[in-house]
Amino acid sequence: MKHLQALRLLVVRDLQIRYAGTWLGYLWSLLDPLFMALIYWMVFTVILGARGVGEQPYLLFLLAGILPWVWLASSLGESSRSLITENRLVRSIAIPRMLWVIKSVSSKAVEFVLALPILIALTVIFKQTLNWEIIWFFVAFVLQYLLLVGIGLILAPLTVLARDMKNIIRLLTRLGFYLTPIIYSVADIPEAGQNLSYLNPMTGIVTLYRAGFWPQGEQIIVPLIAAIVWSLGLFVIGIFFFKKLEATVLKEV
Amino acid sequence: MDFAIKVENLGIRFNRNRKRKFSIREMILQTKNTTPKGSFWALKNVSFEVKPGEAVGLVGANGQGKSTLLRIIAGVLIPDVGTVQVNGGVAPMIELTGGLKSDLTARDNIWLVAGLHGLSKKEVAQKFDEIVDFSGIGDFLDTPVRHFSSGMRVRLGFSIVTSLNEPILLVDEALAVGDAEFKIKCYNRMEDLLNKGKTLFLVSHKEEDLNRFCTRGLYLKNGELLVDGTLTQALNSHLKDQGALDG
Repeated sequence: MKHLQALRLLVVRDLQIRYAGTWLGYLWSLLDPLFMALIYWMVFTVILGARGVGEQPYLLFLLAGILPWVWLASSLGESSRSLITENRLVRSIAIPRMLWVIKSVSSKAVEFVLALPILIALTVIFKQTLNWEIIWFFVAFVLQYLLLVGIGLILAPLTVLARDMKNIIRLLTRLGFYLTPIIYSVADIPEAGQNLSYLNPMTGIVTLYRAGFWPQGEQIIVPLIAAIVWSLGLFVIGIFFFKKLEATVLKEV
Repeated sequence: MDFAIKVENLGIRFNRNRKRKFSIREMILQTKNTTPKGSFWALKNVSFEVKPGEAVGLVGANGQGKSTLLRIIAGVLIPDVGTVQVNGGVAPMIELTGGLKSDLTARDNIWLVAGLHGLSKKEVAQKFDEIVDFSGIGDFLDTPVRHFSSGMRVRLGFSIVTSLNEPILLVDEALAVGDAEFKIKCYNRMEDLLNKGKTLFLVSHKEEDLNRFCTRGLYLKNGELLVDGTLTQALNSHLKDQGALDG
C-alpha cells in the first residue's frame, strides 16, 4: 500500500516535470508520434510509392505500431538509467529499488495512454471500422507493461555497473525499430522469416495491438503465444536478475 | 522487542578500484563468502544494540565505515553478511537536499519527499504548515526549488525529514544546518524530538554536538567496532588514536 503511494507520487512527479516549462505541454505527447508517423507515411507512400506494404489506411497502420514503439524506446532509455538519474534518492530513501524501474515504465505508460486520442481521431477520420479483436489491444498493453518492466529490471543494474550500456541500448532500440513490424506487417516478411520474427519480443505485441483494426482471426494464436511467453518470461527473469545484483548495485550508485 | 536497532555480526565489502573487471557471470554464479581480489571489508563483525530512546554517537576518522553503517541501518545499502533489525520507521537525515527536485516548487517537493518517506496524504496535509513555517521559506513556497540558495534547500530538506515523526532518527553530520539563526532552531527541534523519546543515532566529528545530545558512544576503526560504551570512552579512544597518528 505504502509502496503504491510512492509509485503514484513518482509517476505524478515525472509527468509534472515532463510538462513543466513547456508551452504546449500535453500536446507534445500527441505531436511527437503524429509527426513521426507522418514522416514515414510520406517516405513510403509519397516518395517510394510502396502501396503493398502493411494495411490501409497506412497512416493509421503506422501509428498503431509507432505508439507502442515510442513507449518502448522511451521506457528503456529512462528505466535503464533510473538508478543513476535518481541516485540521490536511491541513496537516501528506503523504498524497494524495483520501484525506480517500475515508475519509469509507468509514467511512460501514462504518456502512451495520453497519446491514444490521435489513434482514435485517425480511426474516426478514416472511418476505419473496429472489430471485437480490439480486446487484444488491452491484452497487448498489459503484456507490454510486463515486458518493459522485465527488460528494465535487467538493464537498470547493468547500466549502473557498466555505463556504456546506455550506448548499447540506444543502438539496439534504433535497430529494433526496423526489425519490428512497425512500418510493415509480419505478412510482408518472406515466409521463411515469419516465424523467426517472433524471436523479437515486440513482434507479437505489435500484431496484437493492430488486430482490432485489421482482424487476424485464427492467425492471432502465434503472436499471442509469442507475446505471452516473452512478457512473462522476461518479467520473471528481470525480477530474479535485479534481486541478484541489487546489493552490488547499491554500493555503486 | 526491547530494542530500536539491533545489529549482528555485520559486514560489507566494497571494491577498491572503480574500474574493475566486470563479469556478469561471476556476479550471478558467485558463491557466498569468497573475497575477490581488490575488495576490502568496510565493516566487519559489527554487533551492537540500541535501546529505544537512547542517543548514540558514532565516532571515528574519515573512511572508517561510519556513513556506511548509517546507510545500512537506513536500509539503503544491503550488507554482505550479518543482519540489521530496525524496530519501527527511521527518519534518515542523509543527503538532505537529495530528494528535492529542482524543477518542482517547494510545495510540490514537500508533498513528494514527505510522501516518499511514508507519510499519508492526510499526515502531509496536517504537517504542511508546520514544515513551511519551520523552514522559513515563506513567500517562495510556489517557486521552483532550482531558484533556491543552497541554504534554503537544506532548510527545506531538514524541515521535511524532522517532521516525519518516526521513532528513530539517523543523522549524518547534518544535525544543524543553515545560518546561525536556523542552527539554533535545529538544535531546539532535536532536543524536542529527544524529549519525546525518539532514538537518535548520530554520526559526527563535532564533539560539541556529540556531547550535547549523546550519552552512549560507538567507535569505529578500520570497519571494526572498537568501543561500545559511554560517549566519553568512545571519544577518548578516538582521540588517543589520532594522537598516536600525530605523534
